[in-house]
Amino acid sequence: MMPSHALTIAGRIFNQVVRDRRTFALIMIVPIVVMTLIWLSFPKEMGMLDYIAPALLATLAIFFGFLLTGISFLRERSQGTLERLMASPVSRSDIVLGYLFGFFIFALAQTVIILFYTIYVLDVHYTGDLWQIFVFQILVLICAINLGIFISTFARNEFQMVQFIPLIILPQVFLCGVLWPVEQMSTALQWVAKFLPLTYAVDGLREIMLQGKSLIEVGFDLGILVAFAVGISLITAFTLKRSAGS
Amino acid sequence: MLDAMSDKLAIEVEKVSFNYAKLKALSDLSLRIPRGISFGVLGPNGAGKTTLIRLLVGLLKQKEGRIQLLGQHPTRQMAHLIGYMPQQHSLYNELSVAQNVDFFAKIYRLKNRTERAKRVEEVLRLVNLWERRNDGIMKLSGGMKQRVSLACAIVHNPPLLFLDEPTVGLDPELRANFWQHFANLNSRGVTIIVSSHTMDDAAHCNRLAFLRSGRVIAEGTPLQLCQATGKPDATLEEAFLYFVRREGKNDA
Repeated sequence: MMPSHALTIAGRIFNQVVRDRRTFALIMIVPIVVMTLIWLSFPKEMGMLDYIAPALLATLAIFFGFLLTGISFLRERSQGTLERLMASPVSRSDIVLGYLFGFFIFALAQTVIILFYTIYVLDVHYTGDLWQIFVFQILVLICAINLGIFISTFARNEFQMVQFIPLIILPQVFLCGVLWPVEQMSTALQWVAKFLPLTYAVDGLREIMLQGKSLIEVGFDLGILVAFAVGISLITAFTLKRSAGS
Repeated sequence: MLDAMSDKLAIEVEKVSFNYAKLKALSDLSLRIPRGISFGVLGPNGAGKTTLIRLLVGLLKQKEGRIQLLGQHPTRQMAHLIGYMPQQHSLYNELSVAQNVDFFAKIYRLKNRTERAKRVEEVLRLVNLWERRNDGIMKLSGGMKQRVSLACAIVHNPPLLFLDEPTVGLDPELRANFWQHFANLNSRGVTIIVSSHTMDDAAHCNRLAFLRSGRVIAEGTPLQLCQATGKPDATLEEAFLYFVRREGKNDA
C-alpha cells in the first residue's frame, strides 16, 4: 500500500466532483432542502424535533455518504477505469483509502451544512459539546463511505445500486431507533438492530446531543462504529477482486 | 541456450487454461512473443482475446499453466512495466484530457511535477490532442477518446503495451496513424500485444496468433500464415478461414 496512491486517487475524485458543477451544487444544497422539509413536517410543540434531530443527523450522514460513494464507485467500475487502475501499481487498499479520503471531504461538507443548519437555522436544541457531536458524526460518515464502497461491489449498474438503498438504508431507519426505541421492538428485531451501524450512530449521537454525554461516555457506540468502519474497509479491499471489469 | 532464448522473449505463455465458472475461455494455450514487435491476437468475438490480455496484465489469475513477462513471473511490482488500454475508453468523463493523462502519470510514479507535465505534453502531442488538452472527455469524439486512452496507457513509457481492440471505431486515417505510432514504439524496443478481430489490423503486426474457442489455431508472421493456405495470393482473412476449417476437420 502506498499513501501517495491513495492521495492521488482522492485528488482525482475532488477534481471530478468540483468540475461537475451541478453535482457539486446538489451535494451542497440537497441536505438543506431535506432538513427543511423534515422541519416543516414536524409539529413544533413538545420538542419532538429536538428528540429526533440527532437520529436524523446520523441517518442523513449514513444515507448521503452511502449514496455518494456507492454510485461513484460503481461508475468507476462501469466506465472501466477500475479495471485500468487494477492493472496499474495501485493496490486494492489504495483504491479503498483513496475513495474514503476523496469522498470524505464532500460528505463532511454535507454533514457540516446539515449540522449547522439544524442547530442555527432550524433552532434545534442540544446540550452536548458541538465539537464532540462533530467528531462523532465524522466517524458515522467514515462508516457510511466504507459501506457505500462495499455495497457497490455487489452492483453491476446504477439501477442495481439504487435497489440497495431500500435494502440497506431503509430497514435501518425502522430498526435502529430513529423513529421509536429499539427496546420496544421484538427480541428478534432487537438482535437484528445490534448488527446495524445506525443503531450505534443514533444511540451515541442522542446521548451526546440530548444528555450532554462526552465521547468517552459513548465509548461503546464509538468503538462499535470504529470496528465496523475498519472491518468493512478490510472486507471491501478483499472483495475488490482483480477481475474488476468482469 | 533456453535462458538466452527466454531473455529475448517479452512474453511466454505455457499451457494456460482459464474458465469463467463452467465456461471454458482459454484451453491449454501457449505463446512465445519476442521483444520489440507488434503481436496480434486475432479471432472472432468470444475467442478468448480479452481473457488472454486480462491474464497477461494481471487482472485475472490462471488456474493452470505458466506466464512469464520479460523473463519474470508477473508480480504487482512489475505493474509499472505494463501499459494497458482496455476495450472501453476507461476515462474519467468529468476530467479534462490533460487531467486524465496526468492522473495516470501520477499513478505510474512520475512524481516530479515538471517532468510529469513535460511527459503529458509529449504524449498528448503524439496523439494529436495537445490543442484539446483542457476539453472535458464528454466533448470528444469516439476516436479522440481512443487517443486519450492510448496516451494514458503509454504515459509512463512501458516496455510492454497491451491494447485490447485499440482501433475499434477509428477512421482509416486515424487507424493508420495509430499503427505508425505503434511501429515507432516497436523501434524503441516496446513490445505491443494487440487484440483485434479485423484483418486490417492483422496486416500491420509482425506476428499473429489466430485464436478460436480459447485455443491458438495458428501462429506466425502474416506472410507465413497466408502462404500456409497454399494459395499464392491469399489474404489474411482467407488464411484465418483456412485454419478455422482445418481445425474443424481435426476436431471431427
